[in-house]
Amino acid sequence: MIQKLRTSFEKLRRNEDQLALVLSVVLGALVGLVVVAFILLTGRISARMYPAGGAGWRRILVPVLGSLSTGYLLWRYFPNARGSGIPQTKAAIFINDGRITFRTVFGKFFCCSASLASGIALGREGPSVHVGAGLASVVGRNLGLSPKQVKALLPAGCSAALAAAFNTPIAAVLFSLEEIMGDLHATVLGSVVLSAATSWIVLHLVLGDDPLFHVPGYQLVHPAELGVYAVLGVVGGLGSVAFVKLLLGLRQWFMRLPKWTAWLQPVAGGLTVGLLGYFVPEVLGVGYNSVEKVLNGNIVVKLVVLFAVLKIVATAVCYASGNAGGIFGPSLFIGAMIGAGVGGVAHALFPTETAGPGAYALVGMGTAFAGVVRTPWTSVIMIFEITRDYTIIVPLMISNMIAFFISQKLQKEPIYEALSHQEGIYLPTAEARFQAERIQVQQTMRLQPVSFSADNQAGAILAQIKNSGLDAWPVVSDDGLRGMVRNREIEQVVANGGENKKLWEILNGHRMFGEVPYVHPDHSLSLAMERMGASGANVLPVVSRANLRQLIGVVVLDDILNTYGVAKRNEDVPLVVE
Amino acid sequence: MSGLAMAGRSFLGTFGLVFLAIGGLFAADMFLAATDRAESHVEATRLFATGQALMKNGESLKAIDKISDAIAIERDNRDYLRTMAEAQLAAGENTEAQTTLTGLLTTDSTDGLANLLMARVLVKQGKVREGISYFHRAIYGAWKNDAEGNRRRARLELIDLLVQQNSKEELLAELLPLEENAPQDLSTRAHLGQLFLLAGSPARAATVFRGILHESPGNATAFRGIGQAEFAQGDYRAAQREFKSALNAEPDDAASRHWLDLCDEVLHLDPTLRGLGASERWQRSLALLQLVENDAAECVQPDSSPELQGLASKAGNALKARVSVAQESDASEANLDLAEQLWQARKKECQPAPSADSALALVLQRLTR
Repeated sequence: MIQKLRTSFEKLRRNEDQLALVLSVVLGALVGLVVVAFILLTGRISARMYPAGGAGWRRILVPVLGSLSTGYLLWRYFPNARGSGIPQTKAAIFINDGRITFRTVFGKFFCCSASLASGIALGREGPSVHVGAGLASVVGRNLGLSPKQVKALLPAGCSAALAAAFNTPIAAVLFSLEEIMGDLHATVLGSVVLSAATSWIVLHLVLGDDPLFHVPGYQLVHPAELGVYAVLGVVGGLGSVAFVKLLLGLRQWFMRLPKWTAWLQPVAGGLTVGLLGYFVPEVLGVGYNSVEKVLNGNIVVKLVVLFAVLKIVATAVCYASGNAGGIFGPSLFIGAMIGAGVGGVAHALFPTETAGPGAYALVGMGTAFAGVVRTPWTSVIMIFEITRDYTIIVPLMISNMIAFFISQKLQKEPIYEALSHQEGIYLPTAEARFQAERIQVQQTMRLQPVSFSADNQAGAILAQIKNSGLDAWPVVSDDGLRGMVRNREIEQVVANGGENKKLWEILNGHRMFGEVPYVHPDHSLSLAMERMGASGANVLPVVSRANLRQLIGVVVLDDILNTYGVAKRNEDVPLVVE
Repeated sequence: MSGLAMAGRSFLGTFGLVFLAIGGLFAADMFLAATDRAESHVEATRLFATGQALMKNGESLKAIDKISDAIAIERDNRDYLRTMAEAQLAAGENTEAQTTLTGLLTTDSTDGLANLLMARVLVKQGKVREGISYFHRAIYGAWKNDAEGNRRRARLELIDLLVQQNSKEELLAELLPLEENAPQDLSTRAHLGQLFLLAGSPARAATVFRGILHESPGNATAFRGIGQAEFAQGDYRAAQREFKSALNAEPDDAASRHWLDLCDEVLHLDPTLRGLGASERWQRSLALLQLVENDAAECVQPDSSPELQGLASKAGNALKARVSVAQESDASEANLDLAEQLWQARKKECQPAPSADSALALVLQRLTR
C-alpha cells in the first residue's frame, strides 16, 4: 500500500502538468483555511480589544500598543512582513525565483492579525495575498520543485488567498493575472482558477454562504444617471490620486528618518488612527461595517465626506509608518464614502432621476479601487460579484475607466510599483515584459549555421569546435536535424580514445529527438533564454514549426544579449557557413 | 541513499505535512468559526434586547440603530428583521419598513407576523385594499408561537379596520369564522355581539347576547346588546324592555339610558305602532308632519325647488286643516305620505343631511319600508 502510494507520488512528481493541477487544489485548500483562520482570529481579537460599550480611551491606547508591539516584532524578527504584501509578492515572482520564507509568512499572519485587530486602518486582503503566495513558495520549495515551477505556483496562492479574503473568486483570478502577473493571458490561468475555486469552497464550508457586504438591489433609475457616474469617476479618480500621493509622500518622509527609529515608526500610525478614532470611531480598522451601512443608505451623507478624508489620512499614515496591512480594504472604504457623497448630492439635486447614495457608494468602491490599485477589470468584476447584479456593469465601467485614466494621468507610477521603487526594487512593468516578449528569435538568429553531418567523426571536428565560444552544434543527416552535440561530449569521447566514433553514435545516447531543446523563429528571446538556462547550453537550434527536423538557424546567447544591448558579439567565431 | 530517493522522500514528506496542516487548520477553523458564531450570537442578542427595550420606551429611532447592529451580526435572524420592521413602522419610516418586510416575505411568504406588519404599513400608506389582502395572509399564515391567538388578534385588527371602513359585508365575513374560534370569556363575546351589530347582523348579535345572559343573568351589557339588536330589527317595544332591564341591572349605564330615551321617542312618535286608535294615529301623523315641516322650514329658501316649496306649503296647509273623526284615518295616511315626500325632498336639497339616528329619521325610515 505504502509502496503503491510512493509510486503514485513519484509519478506525480515527474509529471509537471499533473503536479501543477494537484498542487493548485492542495494550495487552494491550505491557503483558504489559513486565510479563514486569519479573518476569524482578527475578528475575535478585535472583539476583545473593543468590547461593546468599552471606554473611549481604548480607541487611543489599543492602536498605539498594537502598533508598538507589532512594530517591534516586524523590525526585529519579520522585516519582510511590513506593508501590504503585494509588492513583496511581485518581487518574489519576478526577482527572487518565487522565494518567500516561512518566517515571513508566519510574521505576516500574526503581526497583521494583531495590527488589524488593534484598529490600525489597513486591510487584510494584501497581507492575505502575501501569506497565500508565501505558502505556495514554502510548499513548492519543500517539494523540491524548480524555481520556475515555484514561481508558477505563487499566482495560484495569491488567487486562493484573495478568493477567501474577499469572497470573490473571479475577481481573485483576475487580480492575480492583472496585478500580480501583469498579464491576463498568463499560462498559469488554469492553476489560478483551480486554486481560487478550491479556496472559495473552503471558505463556504467553514463560514457559510455569507457575502462580504449585504447590499440592496442595484437600480439605474434614469439613463441620465450615467452622467453622474462619470462625475463619480472624476471625483473618485482625484480622491485616489490624493490618497496615493499622500501615502507615497509620507512613506518617503518616514524612510528618511534614522534607521534606529524603524521599530518606533509604526506608533505614529497607531497614534494617528487612535486620536482620529477617539472622535470618529469609523476610522478604526478596515471599516467594513461602515461600508455596509453606507451601502444600505444608513449613514448621513454629510458624514461620509468626513469619513473619506479621515480614512485617507489614517490609512496613509498607518501604511507609510510601516504597519502591517494592506490598502485594498481602505480603498473600498474611501470609494464607498466618496460614492455616497457624490450620490447624496446628486440625489438631493435630482431626486427623481437618480438612485440613493447607497447605489453610488457601491460603484464608488470599484472606482476608488480602479484609481488606487489600477486594476480596472478586477474592480468591475469584484463589484459585480458582490452585487451579483448585471445592471451595475455599465455604470461601473464608465466610472472605473474615468478614475483609472485620471489616476494614470496624474500619478504616472502605479502604487505598488512606486512602493517597490521606494524600497529600491525595480520590478518589470507589464509594458516592459510585453516589449521583451515582442523581440523574437528570428530578429537575432543566425541563418545557415555551421552544422555537422551525423557521419562526421568526433576526432575530425574537435579542432573546429575548440575555442568556438559555443557549447553545442547541430548534427544533421538526410532526414534533417538529428540533435545537438555538446563540446564536452566530443571532448570526452576523444579523450576516451573514440576519435573515430561518429556523431550519430554519440547522439544515440541522447534523449528522444522531440525532447531536444529548440525554438521556433517566432518564439520570444526571453523564451529562448529560458530554454538555454534549462538546457545549460548557450546555443539552441531554430527549427520550422511545420517540420521540427528542418533546421532554419541557431540562436546564440551572445546575440541575444547584444540585441538587448548588454553584450558584444564575438565576431571571431566562424559560426556561419561562408 | 541516492539523491532521487531523498528527493522522493522529501516530496512525499512535504505532501504529508501539507495534508496534516490542512486537517489541523480545518479543525482550528471550525473551532474558531463556532466560537465566532457563539460570541456573535451573544452580542447580537444583547443589541436586540437593548433595541427592544428602547422600542418599549418609545425611542424607535434609537431602537432601529441597535436592531440594525444586531442584524449586521445575524443577518438572517427573522425575529430581528420583524422587530426592525415594527420599529421602522413606529418611527414612521414606512418605506424602510416595507423594504424590510419585502425581504422577509420574499424568503417566506407565509410569515404571519411579517404579513401583519406589511398590512399595517400598507394601511398607513393609504393602500387599504392591499393591506386587507396582507391581513388575510397574516390570518392564514404561519406563526411561531400561539398561532391561534395571533391569528385571532390579526383578524380582530382587520375587523377594526373594516369597521372604520364601514364595509359591513366584509366585516360579517370576518366575524363568522371569528365566532367559532373566539374565546368564551364574556367581554370577548360581548365585543363580538357589538361587532355583529355593526356588521348589520342584529339576529346573530342577539343570539350572542342571549348566550351571555344565559351564563350571566342580569348582565347589563347583554341586556343592552339585545336591546340594540331588537332596536336594529325595528322592534322598539322589545328594545325598550331590554334597555329597562339593563338600567335595572346597572342604573348608571349612560349608553342604556341614551338608547332607552331614543326608544321612548320613537315609540312616542311612531304612527304605525300596533294597537293605536285612529285618533291617536292621526295625532301622531300630525306630530310627525309637524316635525318634518319644522326641519324642512330651516332650509327652504326662495330659491329652493318648486317641488320642495310646494310640499312645504302643502304640509303647512295639512297641519292647519280641520279633520272630522270619520276622516281621521284617511287624513293620517295623507299626512304620513306627505311627511315622507317632504322628508325625501328635504334630504335631497338641504344640508346638513338629517341624522340617521334621530327618532324622526328612524320613524320615517320605517314608514318608507
